[in-house]
Amino acid sequence: MLSHTLANGAADADGGGLSLVEWARELAGRVVRPTAAERDRDRRWDQGIFAELSGARSGPGLAGPLVPRALGGGGLSATRTCALLEGLGDGGRDPGLALAVGVHAVLATVLLRAFGNPRQQRRYLPRMASGEWVGAVSLRQTQGAAHASTVTARPAAAGLGGWVLSGELDLVAGAPVAHHFLVIAAHDDGSRTAFVVDRTTPGLLINDVGPVAMRTCPWGQVMLDGCVVPEDAVLSTVGGAADEVEPLLAALDWVFLSAPWLGVMRALTRDAIADAREHHLFGRPVVHAQSARFTLADQAAQCELASGLLYRAAGQFDGGGRPSREDAAAARLFVAAAARAVTEGAARLPGALGTTGDHLIERAHRDALFFAETGGGTEVLRPVIAASLLGIG
Amino acid sequence: MNGDHRGIDTAPSFPGIAARAAETDATGRIPLQNWKELTDSGYLRLFHSPDIGGTGADGPTQAAAMEALARACAGTFWAATVSALLCAKLISTYGDTREHARLLRPLLSGERLATFAVVEKTAGSDSGTFRTTVRPAGPAGSDFVITGEKSRIANSPAADLAVVLARREKLPGDDGPDWCLAFVDLRQPRVQRYAIPHMGLRGMSWGGIVFDDAHVAAADVVPVPIEELAEGMAWGWLFIAFAAIGIAESALAASVRHARQRVSFGRPLAHMEGVQAQLAESHAQIDAARLLAHRVTCERAAGRSARDLIGMLKIYATEMAVGVAARAVQIHGAAGVTSGHEVERLYRDAQMNVIGGFASNRLREQVAEGLGLGPAVYRAFDWVTPSGLGRDPVGLDGLVHAAGDGA
Repeated sequence: MLSHTLANGAADADGGGLSLVEWARELAGRVVRPTAAERDRDRRWDQGIFAELSGARSGPGLAGPLVPRALGGGGLSATRTCALLEGLGDGGRDPGLALAVGVHAVLATVLLRAFGNPRQQRRYLPRMASGEWVGAVSLRQTQGAAHASTVTARPAAAGLGGWVLSGELDLVAGAPVAHHFLVIAAHDDGSRTAFVVDRTTPGLLINDVGPVAMRTCPWGQVMLDGCVVPEDAVLSTVGGAADEVEPLLAALDWVFLSAPWLGVMRALTRDAIADAREHHLFGRPVVHAQSARFTLADQAAQCELASGLLYRAAGQFDGGGRPSREDAAAARLFVAAAARAVTEGAARLPGALGTTGDHLIERAHRDALFFAETGGGTEVLRPVIAASLLGIG
Repeated sequence: MNGDHRGIDTAPSFPGIAARAAETDATGRIPLQNWKELTDSGYLRLFHSPDIGGTGADGPTQAAAMEALARACAGTFWAATVSALLCAKLISTYGDTREHARLLRPLLSGERLATFAVVEKTAGSDSGTFRTTVRPAGPAGSDFVITGEKSRIANSPAADLAVVLARREKLPGDDGPDWCLAFVDLRQPRVQRYAIPHMGLRGMSWGGIVFDDAHVAAADVVPVPIEELAEGMAWGWLFIAFAAIGIAESALAASVRHARQRVSFGRPLAHMEGVQAQLAESHAQIDAARLLAHRVTCERAAGRSARDLIGMLKIYATEMAVGVAARAVQIHGAAGVTSGHEVERLYRDAQMNVIGGFASNRLREQVAEGLGLGPAVYRAFDWVTPSGLGRDPVGLDGLVHAAGDGA
C-alpha cells in the first residue's frame, strides 16, 4: 500500500489510470539523472536534455503541458502538469533543472495563454511548447510588488508608439538561453504593466550572474538600457498587472515550482529507507534504531501531507474556477518547510553523507534553503494567508 | 473569519452540542440533549452499511461529519465515535453481522454506548503484559467467563457494552488464536467500574473496568489473531485524528476572532505580524492534516485499508493540534490560561489525542514497519561503553594530573 501511495499520489488525485508521475519519473531518470551531479558541479545547462524532455515521444512534452493542443502543446490539466513536475523532480534528482523547466513550462507559457492576445499566442506558444523558444522570468517578479520594481516603463517618443523599458532584473531563471523575457515594469504613477520582451531587443543585455544554489538552472541578470518595445509587447492591459498578471504569476510560482520538490522529497525518503538498511551503527543495523525509524516514518508522512496541499492547489486551476491564493500560499509554505525537514532528516541518518553517489542530499540541502526563500518565502506567504484568515490586509 | 472559508465554516454543524461544550467539560458529563441531537442528526449511522442499520454514507460525508462534531465538542465526539464507529466496526468486522445485530442495533440507534477495552494498568500498548482472560464457564459448549482489569479506557464508566481484548484460556487440542474479542454486557453484577479524573475530553467518561468471572455468551467470544486487530483499530486512529483536527480548527477560529477583536498597543492584534505568522502556520498545518484525513476516510469508505496512511495522519494531526492549541493559548494571553476559557479546554483536549488509541511513537514504529524496515527490534542498551564512549576523557595534559595526585 505504502509504495503505491508514495509513488502514485498524483494518479489518485487525478483519477487517471497510468500514473503520469511514474512516466515522468522514468523519463527524467533516464535523461536528467545520469548527469545531474556533474552539471551541478560545473554549473552547466544542457540544451539537449531540455530538447529531449520537450519532445518526449511516448508522452506529453515537458515544455508546454499547459499549452492547448491547437497551439502545439500537451493540453494537460493543471493536476496532470503538477504530476509531470513531481515525476521530474523525483526521477531527475535535479532541483535546478526542474526549476528552469517549471519556469518555462508553467510560468512563462501560462501567462501568454491567459493574457496574450491571439497574435501573441500564435507567435510564442507553439514554439515554446516545442521547446524551440525558452521563456524566462525573474523570480523577483513573482510576488507582485512585494519587492520594489526595478524596471520602469515610459512611453516612447511621440509618434513612434511603444514603450521604453529601463532597469535591471536579477534571478532570471532561463536568461542565458531565453528567446524572450516576461518583464513587469512600473509606470511613473506606480501602476505596473507586463511585457514580453524578445532577447533581440536593442539595449537588452544579459550578465552571467546567478545564485549559489540551483546551479543547474541557467541564471542571468537582465539589463534593460532604454529598450524600445512595441505596443504589441504589452501583455494584457497597460497598468493592469496588479489585477491580472501578478496574482496569477504568484500562484503559479507557489504551486507549480513546489511540485518538483514533492518529487525530490519522495526520492530522498526512498533513498533514506534504502540507506538505513545498509548501514550499521554501534554494531547494529540502522533500521533497528528507533530514532532512525521515527525519522523515516515522519519523512514519509511529510510527503503525503505536502502532496495533499499541493494537488488541492493545483486542482483549483482546473475546471474554470478561480484558484485560491490562500491555498496556493499554504501549499508553498508547507512544501518549503517539508522539503527542509525531509532533507535535514535524511542528512542526519548515519552514512547519508557518503563520498559516492549523486550527492542528492547535499545538493537538495543547499537548494531547499534557496527554494524556501523563493516565492517570497515565509515573509510573504504568511501575511498572504493571514490576510485571508483575518479579512484584513 | 471569512464567511466563505472552505472547510471550516461550511461543514455541517452541531450548534447545540457546540453551545454546551464548556458545560460538558465543566460538569464532566455529556448532557442528554447532546445524545438526542446526535441521534436526530443521523451521525451514529453514517459509518455502516444498511444491512446492519447504517446509512452507508460516502467518504466525504463521513469525513465532514466527524470534523464537524469534533469541532463542536471533542468530548462528545470521542464518546459517540468510540461507540458508534470504532466499537461497531470491531463488532461488524470481527463478529457476525447477523448474530451480533442485537449488539449493533442499539449502538447505532444511540440507545446503548460501547467502550473498547484494550489497555491494562501494567503497560499501555504492550499486549504482552495484558492478563485479562476468557475461559469456559463449564463444560465445552457452554458460555464463558471473563476475569481481569482494564484501565484508562474511554467511555468505560458510562458504557453498556464492552468490546474487550482478552486472552483465551485454551483447552488441549485448541490451536486457535491466543486472543479474542469478547463482547461483554457491563450491566451485570460481576462487573465493577471506576472513573479516573483526566486532563482533557472531560465530558467523556474515562476509567477502569474490573471483571470478576463476569458472564459472556459463547457467541460473543470471537477468537482473533492479534496481528489482525490493527486493521480494526485503525478506525480509532482515524477518528482520533479528526478529533485533533476539530480541536485545532476551533483553536484557530478562536485565535482569529480574538486577534480581530483584541486591541493592544493601539491596534488589533490582527495587525501584528507575529500573530499573523502563527495563524498562517496553523492554517497550513491544519489543512495539510485535513486533506490527508479526508483522503484516507474516502479510502476506508471504499473498503481499502490505508492503515499506514492513517498511522501517519494520526501522528501528525494529533501533534499538530497540540501545537496549534498552544499558539491559541499564547495569542489569547492571560484569558487563555483561565479555567473555563475555550482555548484552555482545547489545550487540555488536544493532548489526549496524542496518547489515546496508540501513542505517537508506538504508531511511528508501525509506520516504519510499513516502510519495509521490519518489526521493531529490542536490544538491551549496552553499546556505548564498548565503543569507548562510556567514560570521561583525560585532560589536555593526559595522565600527568592523575599521576601528580598520586605523588
